[in-house]
Amino acid sequence: MKKLITALIATVIASVPVSAAPKSKVVAAPTPPPYTGVYQPQGVDEIGLWREDDERERALTNSPLVIRDEALNAYVKSVLCKTVGSDRCNTVRLYILRVPLFNASMSPNGTMRVFSGLLLRTRSEAELGAVLGHEFGHFENRHTLQQFKSARSGTDLLSWAALLASMSGTRQSYQNFDSIRLSVYGGLARFERNQEREADLLGLGYLNNGPLRPHAASRVWRNLILEVEASSAARGLRKPNFNGVSFFASHPPDGERVNYLYALAAPDGEGRDDGTGRHEAALKPWITAFLDDQVSLNDFGASEFLINSLAESGWTADLWRARGDLFRARGNPRDLMNAADFYAKSVAMNSELAEAHRGLGLSLIKTGRQVEGRTALERYLQLQPTASDASMIAMTIASSEGK
Amino acid sequence: MTAVIRNTWVLTALCLATVASGAVHANAYREKDKISKIANSSMTVTPPRDWNRLTIKPGKYAEVWTLDGEQLNDVTFYGGVEPGTPLLRERNKKRDPLPKFTTTTLLVEVPELLEGTYRAHKKIGSFTLTNTQPGQFLGRDGVHFTYDYTDQDDLPRKGEARAVLIDKKLYMVTFDAPRLHYFNRTLSDFRTLADAAKIAK
Repeated sequence: MKKLITALIATVIASVPVSAAPKSKVVAAPTPPPYTGVYQPQGVDEIGLWREDDERERALTNSPLVIRDEALNAYVKSVLCKTVGSDRCNTVRLYILRVPLFNASMSPNGTMRVFSGLLLRTRSEAELGAVLGHEFGHFENRHTLQQFKSARSGTDLLSWAALLASMSGTRQSYQNFDSIRLSVYGGLARFERNQEREADLLGLGYLNNGPLRPHAASRVWRNLILEVEASSAARGLRKPNFNGVSFFASHPPDGERVNYLYALAAPDGEGRDDGTGRHEAALKPWITAFLDDQVSLNDFGASEFLINSLAESGWTADLWRARGDLFRARGNPRDLMNAADFYAKSVAMNSELAEAHRGLGLSLIKTGRQVEGRTALERYLQLQPTASDASMIAMTIASSEGK
Repeated sequence: MTAVIRNTWVLTALCLATVASGAVHANAYREKDKISKIANSSMTVTPPRDWNRLTIKPGKYAEVWTLDGEQLNDVTFYGGVEPGTPLLRERNKKRDPLPKFTTTTLLVEVPELLEGTYRAHKKIGSFTLTNTQPGQFLGRDGVHFTYDYTDQDDLPRKGEARAVLIDKKLYMVTFDAPRLHYFNRTLSDFRTLADAAKIAK
């Protein structure tokens, strides 16, 4: 009997599903299938998923993290529509969340979440559209449902394997069970990675078919790689490996994505407009706030990289001020000297920028230049007499007078 | 049979672990009118009412007191934060560092330090300092400030804090509670507790 069970477990190991991973292609992504109209959930699993998701969406609509600026929402929605087509995008409910991380998601019932950190990192409509199209690809191919089913099958298999192994009770059967467990977990992670590749393929299909430049998709990941490299370098960490696939990775490695996304872009799309100017104009009212959120995350390398990348189209008073904040927060003596310099540049470009005067004043006082520091802080108080910290700044001015 | 014996051993080990962890993680009762030392520093508090002190410390120099439970009304004392160290324990010193209190940190920058710590620690983008005023703490001139933030759990919270710099060390007390119900209900208890904090001369 024990031998029979051991043999059975061995058979089960052999039958652990090996997902049919679509290998990255070197030809342009094909045109997506025609839109089939409004989709309704089918079967008990999907209906259940949608109901849970409806509940989450109800909570999301009340979340204080949602940015309710109509103009910004309309702009991001318009980029989605340009990417996937107006027939597909009409039913999507889009929520922009004030979360300073690079992410977006789309859930089974058609709820799209876009993090403010993504908007900070995209430089054109085409780059934003590439990420939104990818997320829409997950939705259109109903990936959450597939993932739920594959996780259920995998864990069912593990439950049976655990039962059989305990019935057998031999050392070999326990070893077999450990092997099955690794196989199943590895298989589930690989399944997720392949879903990401499938969503990338579909996302590029939308871009190839639309008015925006499809090569921008590759640029998003290239920029992310550069940002992560900058972050690691500033923290004194070893350069990350962007091509290795770790066992539990849920996404393909960034290096692989850069390459296949570029290959999937239609060659005739190279000359298309990527909407850089429109993107910059639409994000202008928010970009400083999003950048400040990033600067406060204490990721010096990444923040410095993002500030420099925003400055490629020209330094502004806000960018110098943000750079000053970044250096002042790190607070080494050399940083304070640099911070004072950056704030001074900011003030030179816009003498009405109160926050720059504040930062300049504090940096100067901290580096021993009390008189100049007081002048800058006094200017801050002139510009913002009702600032929430006005009385504290006044006290700082008074206390520095004795030094 | 082998499996049964093994399970018994596992069960015994689990029971022992539970008992041991219970002893380790028991929260401490802070009785009314009994003097309490804060985070091994020279700061002491004589609570005007009963409080609970959580045993798990969020940082080397910090400890949390609460009335109704963690996250509902947290009073966090920071007792003598040394220059070059963060306010809270870093998840990973190299990969996920927190802003540091430094020798050059000014009193007016302490609210920014707390803001940066919360933003980096909680990975949040919504934190607003609402008011910063000069005020007394531990009988010295310090800073009083208030703030709002929303955590990843989507629950809006409010906070109030007092801080002072003594001998290049930071002493601070913060009060964090959900804006709904708990903040207003516990605010006066926090203020009387903060008033009762003292430092050895």
